[in-house]
Amino acid sequence: MYNGVIGLPVRIRLVDGSREWVIEDASGLEAGEALRRVGLLSEEYIIVRNGEVITPNEKLRDGDEIVLYPVVSGG
Amino acid sequence: MVNCSICGRPAVYVNRISGKAYCKKHFLEYFDKKVRRTIRKYKMFGKKEHIIVAVSGGKDSLSLLHYLHHLAERVPGWKITALLIDEGIKGYREETIKDFKRVAEQLGVEYRIAGFKEYFGHTLDEIVLMGREKKLPYQPCSYCGVFRRYLLNRVARELGGTVLATAHNLDDIVQTYVMNIINNSWDKIIRLGPVSGVSSHPKFIRRVKPFYEILEKETTLYSILNNLYPKFVECPYAPFNIRWTIRRMINELEEKYPGTKYSLLRSLLSIIEYLKKIPELSKGEVKTCMICGEPSAHEICRACIYRIELGILKPPKEVIPILENLGVRIPSGTVDQTE
Repeated sequence: MYNGVIGLPVRIRLVDGSREWVIEDASGLEAGEALRRVGLLSEEYIIVRNGEVITPNEKLRDGDEIVLYPVVSGG
Repeated sequence: MVNCSICGRPAVYVNRISGKAYCKKHFLEYFDKKVRRTIRKYKMFGKKEHIIVAVSGGKDSLSLLHYLHHLAERVPGWKITALLIDEGIKGYREETIKDFKRVAEQLGVEYRIAGFKEYFGHTLDEIVLMGREKKLPYQPCSYCGVFRRYLLNRVARELGGTVLATAHNLDDIVQTYVMNIINNSWDKIIRLGPVSGVSSHPKFIRRVKPFYEILEKETTLYSILNNLYPKFVECPYAPFNIRWTIRRMINELEEKYPGTKYSLLRSLLSIIEYLKKIPELSKGEVKTCMICGEPSAHEICRACIYRIELGILKPPKEVIPILENLGVRIPSGTVDQTE
């Protein structure tokens, strides 16, 4: 089973590229928890890892690239 | 790994109330069932309808257009036309029009774009500046909401529509509910049901909200899974709106206490039933605006009042006493003296 690239941080960015976060030691952390760490609510984003939608309960792996699609939009 | 409760494939969505997880295929089935149940429960459509879908170009309305287009393929008596209102917001609307045209053309749906400029002579950007110069006490979203609703009804009728479908989702509805509680606007809360405009006025197109019981998170996921999610462009006026803060508060509550939004919706549906029993709230029959002839809650509609206050519409002499009674600010020199 693929367990990610050991030691690499998890990168999280908004789909429009306007914001990006890097989390060290995120392996094993649930995606929703990682969002909370950077001050975001998982209620407000759809989480995509390597092109696949994942749920907030999904555990992150070293080196994961996460893209967030905002649920809330102005307009 | 979170797996689909039905087939065991990787899950894309978890319903936090039932605890059920869904893969892509079973999420789309769950979504379809939920919307169809909403449509049936509130008797939104008849066998023969010309459905005008109000589309902003955002993810929710593109999802509604996509969903109703596919549903209509199974109903021989339905016709779908998409309607986008171009308010004229620089840097925002141009982008969303591109997404709208892309989806409408991919689906092969007929569409119409109607502009504030075309009908009122000014874009929203110009209107906001004029309002600020005249020191009118309105936020951009107030003008936009009033003029947009006015045009949606009028243009839907001009297109021959029998019903107007908007993409308001459960989140939008409960946010508006809380905003109206704060404003003590019970007359507005009574109109927050899934179907409005039932009371007959020959010029009023019945409005329905097929996503009334669907979470915004679900409509967003539907848009991503169907490749409809637009380039993320935010309306520049949005942060001026109190909705911004209320939305965050409700989302924080939902995260801590799953089911909060559904509870708020049930609370809203109950309160509407109670409010209907209060004569002065429920009697409000639809009137006809004395100036433009469109349906209105008062003798003069809000769109005409705003236009008068902005100085872009000359009120006829005979309505001046009514306007004064309503507290409308009439700019000097704009009264129409013609008989």
